[in-house]
Amino acid sequence: MFRPTLLFTSLAALVLGACSPQDQQAVTSAAIARQVILPTYNRWADADRQLAVSALAYCQGTASLGTARADFLHAQRAWAQLQPLLIGPLAEGNRAWQVQFWPDKKNLVGRQVDQLVNAPTPVDASHLANASVVVQGLSAYEYILFDARLDLADANQKARYCPLLVAIGEHQKTLAETILAQWNTPEGMLWELSHFPNPRYADAHEAIADLLRAQVNALDTLKKKLGTPMGRQSKGIAQPLQAEAWRSQASLASLAASLDAAQAVWEGVDGKGLRGLLGKDQKNLAGRLDAAYAAAQALLADNQRPLAELLGDPQGRQQLDILYDGLNTLHRLHEGELAKALGIALGFNANDGD
Amino acid sequence: MGLAHWFKTLLAPQGSNLLLSARDDGEGRHHAVGYRLDGRQVFATRVSQRCHAIVQHPTRPLVLFVARRPGTECYLLDLRDGRLLQTLTAPPNRHFQGHAVVHAAGEWLYTTENDTREPGRGVIGVYRFDGQQLARHSELSSHGIGPHELAWLPDGETLVVANGGIRTEAESRVEMNLDAMAPSLVLMRRDGTRLSQETLAQPMNSVRHLAVAGDGTVLACQQYMGEAEHCAPLLAIKRPGQPLQPFPVSERQLRQMAHYTASVAVHDGLRLVALTAPRANRFFVWDLDTGAERLEVSMPDCAGVAMVADGFVVTSGQGRARLFDCRGPAPVVRVLNLPAGYWDNHLHRAL
Repeated sequence: MFRPTLLFTSLAALVLGACSPQDQQAVTSAAIARQVILPTYNRWADADRQLAVSALAYCQGTASLGTARADFLHAQRAWAQLQPLLIGPLAEGNRAWQVQFWPDKKNLVGRQVDQLVNAPTPVDASHLANASVVVQGLSAYEYILFDARLDLADANQKARYCPLLVAIGEHQKTLAETILAQWNTPEGMLWELSHFPNPRYADAHEAIADLLRAQVNALDTLKKKLGTPMGRQSKGIAQPLQAEAWRSQASLASLAASLDAAQAVWEGVDGKGLRGLLGKDQKNLAGRLDAAYAAAQALLADNQRPLAELLGDPQGRQQLDILYDGLNTLHRLHEGELAKALGIALGFNANDGD
Repeated sequence: MGLAHWFKTLLAPQGSNLLLSARDDGEGRHHAVGYRLDGRQVFATRVSQRCHAIVQHPTRPLVLFVARRPGTECYLLDLRDGRLLQTLTAPPNRHFQGHAVVHAAGEWLYTTENDTREPGRGVIGVYRFDGQQLARHSELSSHGIGPHELAWLPDGETLVVANGGIRTEAESRVEMNLDAMAPSLVLMRRDGTRLSQETLAQPMNSVRHLAVAGDGTVLACQQYMGEAEHCAPLLAIKRPGQPLQPFPVSERQLRQMAHYTASVAVHDGLRLVALTAPRANRFFVWDLDTGAERLEVSMPDCAGVAMVADGFVVTSGQGRARLFDCRGPAPVVRVLNLPAGYWDNHLHRAL
């Protein structure tokens, strides 16, 4: 199979004059890619390298459970920051499922991990590469380190779960390094977000649209990650075990990390974010988006209690309702007014085709 | 547009391909559009309901823009200038499912419809041309649930019908039977007689769209309604005289489709099959005979695909349209000067 050669019509080339809107979009796309996205993918790869080392150290008895858990939380946070940046290789080929299995309505993670570690042959990284995505990622890793039914102080249990823990660490490291290489390779994802036209994007506007789409999808997912345990899809009955990272009580921390990254795409470094593409006549919209980010961030910063606890009392649930509304405002502003202001059609066929 | 201009465009060999599609504008208004390949607009006719497939009359300059399900209006246009000739309204207790075909003699039109009194029961509406007007004549069974696209086998008398297998109600797109889907591919005569009915191994694969090659090979693409982490085949092939079976697509490529295909097209001259996967922003081309991978490329929200002499034109709901020249061993992509974004699910090249 061949990568297509790209030609573009002379007319299309001529309209790409300096300082045209296309030009500004190309600068913005390149800046977001280099200054916001790539550093976040680098941090993710670093966290997963550390995770692989950490699993080995814990299993060899040279590191404590506390250290192993801290390294998991670090990797979970790095992954959460990628949520609004899921474009390109990691967004394709079902790869994101390999990092995290959520939602997990039927506790497939717990059941499949137990099944795997009780099999006669211990699992290794090459075996895991061909296994179900349910057991390949952070959700399975978290189950091993945090589930209350497991007792890793028991040497036999630890010996049974450790090969999988090590294999997941290795698998995540390999995956992260593969994805990072696909960003950095010549004419890779970083290049495709910076040079137009290219085989992925016919012009910079398509790249900006892709960046915004990732934002909108992430904000929608954040609503689901919060709304599902709140019972928004189950007649108001709280479902604490449906939360992301509930075992490690990292649900709200993950949400905050994702929100930080979304805000970074919006603001950019040195003002070269999506906000910079709005004209002077769109100051009002920019102000409302700034305010919506600030409001959601303040709610998360003020809260010191874990999600499960908040779900347990009326005051906590009220706080979560306000947070959910804040995320909803952000999502709606991106999906509606911001998309329109930037002249972007979002997922016309993807979301609403036939 | 004047008649003289129309004749001139007919004679112009380059860029004269006329592309037809449903398209929105930035304000969410619906249109039936015709554009030349070189970007010239022939017409953009405002219509009240969103459309899906485009059916051209075999001999006269007429084109029907078919309602997207669960729409109730199809629009019969003058192909030359986009003038609306008739708004065809679905009868009571029926809505259109998005697709239709015209018989080669030009007298009869067949549409897929839903019986909303018995939600999901597939109906083939039969309409007759009387000059520049269509009138409902009768109806047939689609022999299945939730029929979507239908097409002719090369004999021009045998219909192939993709029964998607999903029940929906009037004015709704909500699936009612994901636990008991019954998709099938039916071959039937024009009088409604069923010749064959085939199913795929995976009952949650909704058979949606079709392409038929000149030798009678049928391609059927699907949408998988199961869990996101599963891997499901999404393209099936029925070669003449053979059963319906998965087209040999690698698991790696299947994972690049996000369980959703929008359109399939066949290129008879080049013996190629093309597939759009807008949820995964990906466009694929394979060799029809060997299944060899010919092209896999990222393209945002790509959905409509139409065969042209050199390969395929692909349109997008989000980005710019491309022409993939597939004549050589390495495909060449050219970005077209058509307006970007808001192109709906299907693209038809006028014959």
